[in-house]
Amino acid sequence: MTRVGIIGLGTMGRQHMDAYRQMPDVEVAAVYDHHLDRAQGFAQEYGVRVAGTLSDLFHLCDVVDICTPTYRHAEYALPAIEAGKAVVCEKPLARTLEECERIVNAVKQHKTLFMPAHVLRFFPEYRTAHQLVKSGAVGTVAAVRMRRGGDFPRTKSDWYADFTKSGGVILDLIIHDFDWMLWTLGAVERVYAKALTFRQLEHLDYTLVTLKFKNGAVGHIEGTWCDPGGFKVNFEVCGDSGMIEYDSTRQVALQIATRADGGVGGGVQIPESPAVQNPYYLELRHFIDCVQTGQTPEITVEDGYNAVRLALAAIESAQTGKVVSL
Amino acid sequence: MKIRVGIMSFAHLHADSYAHCLKSNPRAELVGIADHDTARAQAKAQQFEVQAFDSYESLLASDVHAVIICSENVHHARLAQMAAAAGKHILCEKPLMTTLEDGKAMLAAAQGAGVHLFTAFPCRFSPAFQQMKRMVESGAIGELLALRGTNRGSNPGGWFNDPELAGGGAMIDHTVHVADLIRRLTGQEITEVYAETGNNMFHGAFDDTAMLTMTLQNGVFATLDSSWSRPKTFPTWGDVTLAAVGTRGIIEMDMFAQHLIHYDDRAGRIKQVFWGDNIDYLMVDEFLRVVAGEARQTLATGEDGYRAAAVAIAGYESVRRGEPVSITHTEAAL
Repeated sequence: MTRVGIIGLGTMGRQHMDAYRQMPDVEVAAVYDHHLDRAQGFAQEYGVRVAGTLSDLFHLCDVVDICTPTYRHAEYALPAIEAGKAVVCEKPLARTLEECERIVNAVKQHKTLFMPAHVLRFFPEYRTAHQLVKSGAVGTVAAVRMRRGGDFPRTKSDWYADFTKSGGVILDLIIHDFDWMLWTLGAVERVYAKALTFRQLEHLDYTLVTLKFKNGAVGHIEGTWCDPGGFKVNFEVCGDSGMIEYDSTRQVALQIATRADGGVGGGVQIPESPAVQNPYYLELRHFIDCVQTGQTPEITVEDGYNAVRLALAAIESAQTGKVVSL
Repeated sequence: MKIRVGIMSFAHLHADSYAHCLKSNPRAELVGIADHDTARAQAKAQQFEVQAFDSYESLLASDVHAVIICSENVHHARLAQMAAAAGKHILCEKPLMTTLEDGKAMLAAAQGAGVHLFTAFPCRFSPAFQQMKRMVESGAIGELLALRGTNRGSNPGGWFNDPELAGGGAMIDHTVHVADLIRRLTGQEITEVYAETGNNMFHGAFDDTAMLTMTLQNGVFATLDSSWSRPKTFPTWGDVTLAAVGTRGIIEMDMFAQHLIHYDDRAGRIKQVFWGDNIDYLMVDEFLRVVAGEARQTLATGEDGYRAAAVAIAGYESVRRGEPVSITHTEAAL
């Protein structure tokens, strides 16, 4: 039995809890949140134990799963690594590059298992696209475009709206696309970005990023927290012998439209793409398998570092108006 | 009275569409065709059942009121100056020019001769774009903050792949339509351009991939993908899209989304069959009206063409310098 301790019991903490509950060889041994009332409510709901302190949590588990807001990742990841725990940490790896470096160094020093949770790699549409591109399905890649976003994310603490905590749409949201591109196309030479991040617009953030890859390909990412039309993603990869594209508004397995108020009120429409296992389960299952077998996770701590480095370069470009070389 | 029109060169594939628009427009008479490729002039004259002129000079010496120029991009300036000197009104294929000097000479020639010089920007006539413009102007999405455009296409090949004749590759070919839509939508000039280009699609001595970032006078920013990135099996030639992001919402336009999908076993491929309005026809129709004396409404002027082409030219400058490039509009104004 692998014993997991979850730190941070918001939306992602719940997602991960739900995934672990489907694993008969995993026990969520304890949970921790610096809001004690939230920890207690969570523990009651799921029937798990609350750890009053971090050292209590480390004492009770082999694996630490960090689901806090970005700016607190390093604060929890570093002691967990130092305690010799296997750590899975939500994306982005940390808020600053300096924190990322400390995490990378700690992982090296303590020779622990560590995986940044870039869950996009376990979304079947993105995984299949990665495999297709890697297999040469489009030939040499020339252009790649990705789009991600919807309305501004709201939480009780509103930490997404605090750039110093979340890094805005570039660090928090399109880190997914940065990671996918690095994973699929390799290193980036330089980046240029425009963003609304520094315009002080309340609950609005938007970015358009251009990337030049070392292999000559040109990339473009649109990240939006300005779209009231709901969360949407799309991408296309164009190469010298073909192209693949995906649009979450078109490739939908179920469209559900229901009328409220017994058939007279306004309705709601929900697109769904059901799967036997959701990407969070697949991601955490992979990590648990690595813990159990000693195998290296397919997302390394360096991958997490590189994605943050690229995102921060884009932020620097948006802030200074200059091209940033990597 | 019918407006008599000649076509100067069929090098650009849009000439066929304009010829059809003239043939089917009761206001127009397509008089004839001249081309430095005289065999092409003969073939097209036969196809459209009009006169083949043996030179541009002889076409311009005829009684045509106006000409449409569809030569290779680098010849636009010379042909437009010839037409202006002959007192003919001009509709010139885009991009208006490949160098700022050429553009200025064209504008000066038209102004000096007292003839109209227009740029073939049919996308302005799209009902979807016009509705988008009305909505943005009405404040439907609040304050405009950013724009995201694409004019992705397939590689037209031929002289389009020869920078000596085209003035560049994909970026000069596919920047100007959306640059013009952005200017038309916002009433703002583009003051800064950053561009990345690549050639991984065709590995030639021309850019086949291009991504521009533009900043407008009022700080609104925009990107434009002007790559020839549609593969051979793509169901149509490409697209024109423009998304506007505002404080209160977004509008996403896909100009050629009005199509059927045709699974064509005989052709062995899937095709899009467009059923929206013919924007080339609408543009040519206004050109004919303005030549007849009516006031211009939507038609893009020579200066509009100049300013849009200046964006692509600045894009190449940006690629050379590896940094964003300013467009100074005091200098660009004529």
